Order: sequence, then structure tokens, then C-alpha cells
Amino acid sequence: MKRFLSSMIDGRGFDIGLVSLPLAFLLTLSGLPLLYNIVMSFQEVDMFSLGSFWRPFVGLKNYRDLFAQPETWPILANTATFVAASIAGQFLVGFGLALFFWTSFPGASWLRGLFLVSWVMPGLVVGAIWNWILSGDFGVLNFILRETGLIDGNIFWRSDPGFSLWAVIIANIWLGTSFNMILLSVGLSAIPRDLYEASELDGANVWQRFWTITLPMMRSSIGAIMALGLIFTLQQFDLFAAITSGGPNNASNVTQYWAWDLSFRQYDFAKGATISVIMIAFVMVASVVYVRSTRHEVRG
Amino acid sequence: MSNVSRDRLLLAVAIILAGIYLFPLYWMYITTIKSGSEMFATPPTFWPTDPQWQIFGNVWQSRNMGRYIWNSLAIACGAVCVITVLGVGCAYVLARYRNIWVDIGLFLILMLQVLPASLMVTPIFVGFSQIGLLNYPRLAVILAIAAKSMPFFVVLVRATFMSVPQELEEAALVDGNSRVGAFFNIVLPLARNGILVSAILIFMQAFGEFVYSKSMIQAVELQPASVGLNSFMGPNTNEWNNIMAYAAIYVTPILAIFVLLQRRIVSGLTSGALK
Amino acid sequence: MAIRGSAILGALALAGVSLFGLAAKAEDVTISVWSLDRDIQPAPNLISDFNKLNTGIKVEYRQIQFDDVVSEAMRAYSTGQAPDIIAVDNPEHALFSSRGAFLDLTDMIAKSTVVKTSNYFPGPLASTMWDGKNYGLPKATNTIALYYNKDMFKAKGLDPDKPPQTWDELVDAARKLTDPAANVYGLAFSAKANEEGTFQFLPWAQMAGGGYEHINSDGAVKALDIWKTIMTEKLASPDTLTRGQWDSTGTFNSGNAAMAISGPWELDRMVSEAKFDWGVALLPVPELGAERSSAMGDFNWAIFSNTQHPAEAFKVLEYFASQDDRMFKDFGQLPARSDIAIPETGVPLKDEALKVFVEQLKFAKPRGPHPEWPKISKAIQDAIQAALTGQMTSKDALDQAAEKIKAVLG
Repeated sequence: MKRFLSSMIDGRGFDIGLVSLPLAFLLTLSGLPLLYNIVMSFQEVDMFSLGSFWRPFVGLKNYRDLFAQPETWPILANTATFVAASIAGQFLVGFGLALFFWTSFPGASWLRGLFLVSWVMPGLVVGAIWNWILSGDFGVLNFILRETGLIDGNIFWRSDPGFSLWAVIIANIWLGTSFNMILLSVGLSAIPRDLYEASELDGANVWQRFWTITLPMMRSSIGAIMALGLIFTLQQFDLFAAITSGGPNNASNVTQYWAWDLSFRQYDFAKGATISVIMIAFVMVASVVYVRSTRHEVRG
Repeated sequence: MSNVSRDRLLLAVAIILAGIYLFPLYWMYITTIKSGSEMFATPPTFWPTDPQWQIFGNVWQSRNMGRYIWNSLAIACGAVCVITVLGVGCAYVLARYRNIWVDIGLFLILMLQVLPASLMVTPIFVGFSQIGLLNYPRLAVILAIAAKSMPFFVVLVRATFMSVPQELEEAALVDGNSRVGAFFNIVLPLARNGILVSAILIFMQAFGEFVYSKSMIQAVELQPASVGLNSFMGPNTNEWNNIMAYAAIYVTPILAIFVLLQRRIVSGLTSGALK
Repeated sequence: MAIRGSAILGALALAGVSLFGLAAKAEDVTISVWSLDRDIQPAPNLISDFNKLNTGIKVEYRQIQFDDVVSEAMRAYSTGQAPDIIAVDNPEHALFSSRGAFLDLTDMIAKSTVVKTSNYFPGPLASTMWDGKNYGLPKATNTIALYYNKDMFKAKGLDPDKPPQTWDELVDAARKLTDPAANVYGLAFSAKANEEGTFQFLPWAQMAGGGYEHINSDGAVKALDIWKTIMTEKLASPDTLTRGQWDSTGTFNSGNAAMAISGPWELDRMVSEAKFDWGVALLPVPELGAERSSAMGDFNWAIFSNTQHPAEAFKVLEYFASQDDRMFKDFGQLPARSDIAIPETGVPLKDEALKVFVEQLKFAKPRGPHPEWPKISKAIQDAIQAALTGQMTSKDALDQAAEKIKAVLG
């Protein structure tokens, strides 16, 4: 007992205690629900048997049924587009802004702070605002594009199968930029300035400095942002619900919205769970990327 | 180009960028004070001809927003407390070592937050109802949010601890401090800024949480503002000015606090307290 | 030990009773009610009136969102947290009654002095029935008809007293009324990929001899072709595909659409917002003399089968039914009752419109009832969207829907 106590205060036990409590908490509150979803994807789920764990097993039937549906592949492709375009957009805009504000000028830190507001906004509110801005006939975005001569007729962002997915992507880039920018700013500020001074003396130009110093030094930040970005993007649900509801004709439907739609609109809980298992596989890849990126971290 | 004119140019560009970026927010505020027919006018007006200022008071009164915002605050504060207490230690340990177990821990923590809340809510609801936690709905939501947001917090705070020089902690241990003592006296104070900033970011997320609250909190008196907004939006509503007024009242306090604190937040983040 | 145990139990029970007595009168029974009604709509007002009567039954109210009714109810029911009474959308009633989740009210209704099934319109009543038994009571009813802007009709040389009667006349009128320069569309309706789309489309299919059981009949294909014409010629906003009925009608009220297909729930807003003369006409038919049909909307009351207090819950329903005559006057909703003459409101436009809706209601058909209605409805929505976005022909899209529906119907 005494050894245990002293270990708790002064040894390994302290670390294990610190880490096991939150892990246990997470495993109960996130792990079990995750497991519930996975198990459900192999079961036949009756809408009134939601409360119990024991339901008839049907093996891979849900998976076979899912991939027999004609909309499955297009929706998976949409998801890939949504994730790739959102992450790329958020990252590029965020990185651009972070680099821009990194050059110190008066008011830089104050203005940079303003770019964090999208983080503060609840998803529901952001969805409502963008729904309103993107509306085809009354939307202000169409008005601005028309006035500046970029388009002739209104673009029906929400209802044109060619644009609806991009409407959500635009809103999502807006939403995620702040998160990218701030984490990248943090990464940038950690790069020692003398590295740049040295290479400037060596005659390296801006581009060379960016490629040889900035990017390599940012590796771990970028890895973390990509992984978290993938997770946040895959969780993005409010914007779909608010702007397009996955329509028209599934043109902007993605897995996370589809899974919800199957579960709670068509009450096909097993299929909803099946899709979520596919998403878990997606995120597993992201997690590996993140964990690998931490390998390159340097402890200060 | 002189330094002054370069600064001015950069400042101008920054202001333009911020203007573009903040436009959706502006549009929210401006829609709020438009009258019903002006909202749908084409071309849209960028400054309302007949501002309806009374709408804020009306919406506040008729939607009973004081109570909603209070509930949002209570839930967000609770979630931040749970997350901070549990998450800081976890992040500290994950930053201190570099081995396979840490990799597994990080992997698990990320994996556990993969599914959107809309898919997690059914199992959580079922589990909570079986242990009777649904009788304390706000606590139930706090716990669910904590589980949802903790991974993000751990990732951020872990980065903070990475920037605390390990030698300082070792020196404290050599001086006769216990691990507990070194943690609380040396490491924690040094990481304070980063933890604070991460907590604020988490707070803002929790303040807007919607899916869990909607399902678990059935009594109107206990619901947060996000649920109130949703019940306002409903399928049969396009009172966009009222909705936007609600949204404006909802986010303005946090925006205000944020704008006041933002210099500290940003400098806290970028001065290397968090990396 | 046993004696001590029971003594403690007794003491606890006593303490429990006295604590409970402080909170409420000892004989009070609490009944919980869920519905989607907001503060200005019937349920919360009727409930607060009921609570003032001090009948020894205390009713608690919770508002839920349209989209969440079924999922919240199922989750609550399967974990034993269900309310005593709930209002569900009529096509979803059978989902619950067929699984025994709702209480069979047949005997209680037979004995009741307040509720008589013969007083209800057959359509709404049918939606509460399953297997010949009553599993609920219609809460209200509604249907859709054609709103039109008389001022715009005059301006474009159309007779404001002769609204379009057939599909061809409707399309013609829409062509004449559409004015892109003035941001006016000829028609506003909803083809959204949710129940609203089905609600709006089925009447068209039914008028032409189709229906959900034979959704790919020639008439239904023709109906969808007409919709397609309206969309491709931009006689209605492309946002029709993603916009609900309330939002679409909003554009009519603001003068951006000359006609709108929607229901009586729009009347109060239209009276206060529309700055022009308008009227309501019956839904146009395929050709003169064709069979009329219309959608039947609105919610039903039901009692969950695991309620602790079935008798008291039924008393609450009886009270709701006894107040049906207030529905239109106080809340602008139509009671699903044939024995109640709806009184004039004194607002001429509203009273005129009411006559049309009451007439239209005679042709209203329930959707289903079928326990898997959501899947049937989804197949129809998919077909509408696939056709209107130009990805399939109307025929192909509806054939595919028919295939899916056949699989559901078995």
C-alpha cells in the first residue's frame, strides 16, 4: 500500500494515474458508443430494439446491401471531394493568412484575432447564415458575383447538382480557416528567427527560405492540422443540414449526413451504423498520419 | 519602399482580407435589423433603409433568451471543467514520454472522436438512460460534450507541454521535489497560458453544442440557446430577421469577450506557449 | 431482519409520500405530452387551459421539432422514457401502431361521450387506424391548394377571377406571369427531398390516376413531366428543389412568385405580409372533369402503450377533442371534423380562402397508412429529384421508384 502510494506521488504510478482516468472516461463515453455502432452494423436492427444490445446477427448482409445501392459510390466520391477540397482550401487560406500576419506590421496581431471568430460561431448559426447568403434568388453572394461581372445569371448554389457540394465546401472552408490559421501561426512563431537570418546571409531568396526552412520546420504542425482537419471535416454535419440537406438528388450528400439520414429519416439504423464503420476506417488512416507526424516533434 | 508605406500597405490588405472574411457576420447583423420585405428585396440592400432596432428586445423577450443563455453558460463551464481536470494530466503524460504506449494512447484518443455527434447520440442516450443519468440532463450533456471535445484539448495541451523544457522539471526533481510537486509547482505554471487558451477554445465550442443537448434535455427550462434557436428555426419558419436576431444575441456576448481577450489569446498562442 | 427491513421501507414510503404531497396534490396524476406546436399553436394553449381546470390531472408539455418527432419518440420508447401522449405526423402513425407502440383506443372511444369516430373526416380518421382498430385521434387536418396573386394576373392580362383550372392552363399562366427582369417566377411550390416533396407530388399523381402503389402509371409520369417543364423553363425558382413549402410561399408573399401551391397554415402570415390582392383556387386537374385529389396533412394524437395512466391520458385527449371548435378561430388550423361548422373570422380574404380549402379537403387522401411509409416516401422523393435535376427521364425515375416501393410493399 505504501509502495503504491509513493509510486502514485513519485513514480510511474503518477503518470499511469494521470493517463488512465481520462482514458477510462473516453473509453466509456466514446468507446462504448463506437462499439455499439460497429456491432449494430452486423445486426438486424428493429427500430424498437434500440435499447438492447442483443439483436439477430446477419453477418455482412448490411454491407452487401449498402454497396448494392446505386447511390453508395457517388456519395463516397462526394465525401472524398468534400474532405479533400475542404482541407486543401482551409489549409491554403489558413497558411496564407498565417504567413501574411507573420510579417509584423502595426495592427497585425489585432486583426489576426478577428479571423478567429468563425471558431466562436456555433455550427447551427453558421449554417443559417450561409444558407441565407447562398440562396439562389435573394442570396447576396449571387448579387456580388453579378455586380462584379463574374456571372451573368444567378447560380443556384443550393439546388444545382453541379454546385451544391461546392456551396457546402465554401461554407466549410470559411468555418475551418480560423482553426488552421491559428495552429499554423503557432507553428510559425516557434521557428527560430536566426535560422532565417543565417540563410538570408547565404543569399537564399524568399521562396528558397520557405521551402528549406519554413516547411520542414512546420512538419509536425502540418501533420496535426491535417489529421484534426480530416476529423473535423468528416464530422461536419450542421452545414449540410442547414444548406442543402444533401440534395438535390444526393448531389451534395456525404457519408456523415447520409448515415444520419438513413438512421433517423428512414429508420434504417443498421445501414446508418454500417456507413459509420466505413468512416471509422477513414479516420484510422488519419490517426496514423497524426501519430507519425508527432515522431518529428522536437521537445523544447 | 519605405518601412512606413510598407506597413500601411500591409495594414490595408489585412483590413480588406478581414472585411471579406467577416462579411458573413456582417450579413447576419444587417439581416437582423431589416424589415420582412426588405430581406427578400432584389437587389439586396447593404444598409437597411428602415432599421428595426426593437427586434433585439422583442426576440429576447419572446424567446426567453436569458434562461437559454444561462443554460448554455452552465453547460459550457461544466464541460470545460471536466475536460481541463481530466485532460491536462493526460496531455502532460503523453508529452513526457516517447514510446509505443504513447503512440497507442494518441491513436486511441483520436480514433474515439471519429463519429459525428449525430451518430453517437443514440448509444449515449441508451447508456445514460440505463444508468439513470438522464434525470440530470445537464450533467449528462456535460459529460457527453467532455468526451467529444477532450481529444482536441489533449492534442493542443500536449503541444504546450512539449514546449516546457524538460530540464526544468528534472532540476526540480533533483532539488527534492516529488513528481507531484514538480508537476504542480514547475510544469503546470509554465504551461498555464496554453492550457487557458485551449480551455477558452473548448468553451466556445461547448457553448454552441447542439446535438446532445437537443436529445438529452427534454425540459425547456434546462435547454441551452442552441436548442432554443433550433426550435425557433423549425421547418415552418423563414422569419430570417428574427432568426438572425436570435443568433446575433446568442453569439455577440462571446464575440465581445473574444474581441476583448483576443490579443491575449493570440499572443498566448503564438508566443510559444503553445506549439 | 425482515421486519426491520419492511419497517424501514414503510418509513421510506411514508417519507416519500409526504415529500410528494408537498410538490403536488396527492391524487394528482402527471401526464406528459409531446408535440411540435409552438407557443401560438394549439397544444401548449390547450394544455394550460386544461391545467387550470384542476381535474386532478396535471399535464406537462414538451415541444419537439418536426424532424425529430419520430427519432425522439422511438429512442424514448425503446428506453422506457416515452411520454404518455404524442402528436405524430399522419403518415408515420402506422409506423408506431403496427408495432404495438401506441395504445389501442377502440374500446375507450366506444365508451366515450365526447369522441365519436363518425364526427371525423374519413381521410384523417383512416390515418389513425391500423388493422381495423383506432390508435389515435386526428389533431387537425390540412391540404394544399393554389394561391394566386390577383394584381399580377391583371397586370399580365389574365382574368383574376378565372384562376387556372387544368395543368395546361397552370403552365400557360406561369409562362405569362414569369418575368425574370422583375424577379418574378410564375409558380412557387416545393420539390424538396423530404416528406414535403412527397406531400406536394402525390396529389398530382393521384389526380391522373396514379398513387403510391402504382407510382409509374402514365398519369404520374405526365404529372412529373409537367413539373419538369416548370423547372426547365424556369417558371419556378431552381431552389424549389431544396426549399420547403413555407420558404417557397414566402417568395409569393414578397411578390417574387405569382402563384404558390401550399396549405392553410400560410393564411395568417399572408394576410399580414402580402401587399396585394390574392385568392385561392382548387388544385388544377389534368383536364376538365378529371377526378380531384389532394394531399392530407397534419398530425394525430396518440397514447403510448407503455403509459402508466391510460384512462387519464385519454381524458386529456377528450379535452383536446372538445376544443376542436376553437382550432380555426384561435390557431388558424382546420379541425378534422365534419360536424363542426367553421365560423367566419371577419377577415374577408381568409374567409374566402377557407371555403376553398374546406372544398379541397373533401378530396384529401391519406398517405398510406403503411408502417414503412418513410421508405415509400423516400423512393418518391428520389424519383422527383432525379427527374427534376435532369439526371433521369420522368418515366425511368418513376419506374425505379415503383421498383423500390414494390420491394417495400412485398
